Amino acid sequence: MISRLKEKGAGDLLKCIQCGSCTSSCIVNAVNEYFNPRRIIGSIVKFNRLPDQDPWLCSSCSICVERCPQRVNPLSVIMALRMIKYENGDAPPSRVFELIEQIKKTGLAFPLSNEAYEKRRSLGLPELEMDEESLKEVKKILSEAGF
Amino acid sequence: MSMTLYLGCLIRTLYPEVEKAVYEVLGRIGVVFEEPKGASCCAPLGLFSLSKNAWLRLNERNMRLFQSTVLTVCDDCFASLSDAFKILSEKNNVRVPEVKPFGKFMLEKLEEKGLRFSFKGLRCAVQHSCHLLRPARNVDNAENPMVVKNVLEKLGYIPVSYVSELDCCGGLVFEEKMRDAIARRKAEALEKSGADCVVTTCSHCMRQLKSVSRLPVLHLAQLSALSMGANPEEIGISEILLRRMVNP
Repeated sequence: MISRLKEKGAGDLLKCIQCGSCTSSCIVNAVNEYFNPRRIIGSIVKFNRLPDQDPWLCSSCSICVERCPQRVNPLSVIMALRMIKYENGDAPPSRVFELIEQIKKTGLAFPLSNEAYEKRRSLGLPELEMDEESLKEVKKILSEAGF
Repeated sequence: MSMTLYLGCLIRTLYPEVEKAVYEVLGRIGVVFEEPKGASCCAPLGLFSLSKNAWLRLNERNMRLFQSTVLTVCDDCFASLSDAFKILSEKNNVRVPEVKPFGKFMLEKLEEKGLRFSFKGLRCAVQHSCHLLRPARNVDNAENPMVVKNVLEKLGYIPVSYVSELDCCGGLVFEEKMRDAIARRKAEALEKSGADCVVTTCSHCMRQLKSVSRLPVLHLAQLSALSMGANPEEIGISEILLRRMVNP
């Protein structure tokens, strides 16, 4: 499993000494103890098991990366777990696909609200529309990635 | 020297007042810029989590449109673009444009021009954006960030320190309940700081904190434009906030 994670960009998990610097800094753990980066890495390196915790709960704030004394990069492990779970058929949160769909539609990840549209007009801000050729290129990149 | 302005999706679709503030600032300090029409979303973590390759290709496409140093107004865009450009530069052995986050850009400009603005007496609690600071990209001190605070001081505001200052706002957590719990925790810390408003340079932090905070949440560009004399109404500065200021 470790080699599969590394293929997906995970850092050097075997250097982990289970000190818990990641978990004690983790903001998600502070509101819900179930999410525990130390245990996520522990279950992989000690038990060779896919952790049962949901990698999509991570806020990606990277404080675990900054504070890890062993330079393990726990975030990279969590991101690799997202990819592996996706490949194993575990659906990511629907929000992820909504963002991707929106990029395919307009080139931007968020839709323009009516309120913002009116405000843009009253402030004299430029039109948002992306040219057709560019949008085609963006769509192509995303559809070739399977989206 | 001309710059490439990259405003990012959230600011353009949700916060036109911030976009207006950015144009005001750039105009007033005399920075020439272009905004490539064909640039797309830089696809930060949602997409990146599923396909690193798609993320990289989207930003390789963006990079081809950028002819000069890229000024980002959202720190999430800063992180996504600079991480992608670094990989592309190593992979293809090519020169890539520099990416500059708004806070750093302001500090450099204010220092270069020796600018200091009149005292406004407004107390500001900074919501430091995670992706500007971590993992360290040599923009600011990751454990004791000072860039935005120094800019605020030069603009005439009072940066205040508070407990949990480095904590993430939770804006990129996909699970709603957890995201809200983290936001409320952060909003509480900000409210206890005694500040009149919250200031950030990340549009995700803005959106997340605006949803829960009783304090006004502003982008640094708005306060920069205000100090430089822009029309408060156009850049989204409320009457209530103006009344709290000395020399508004």
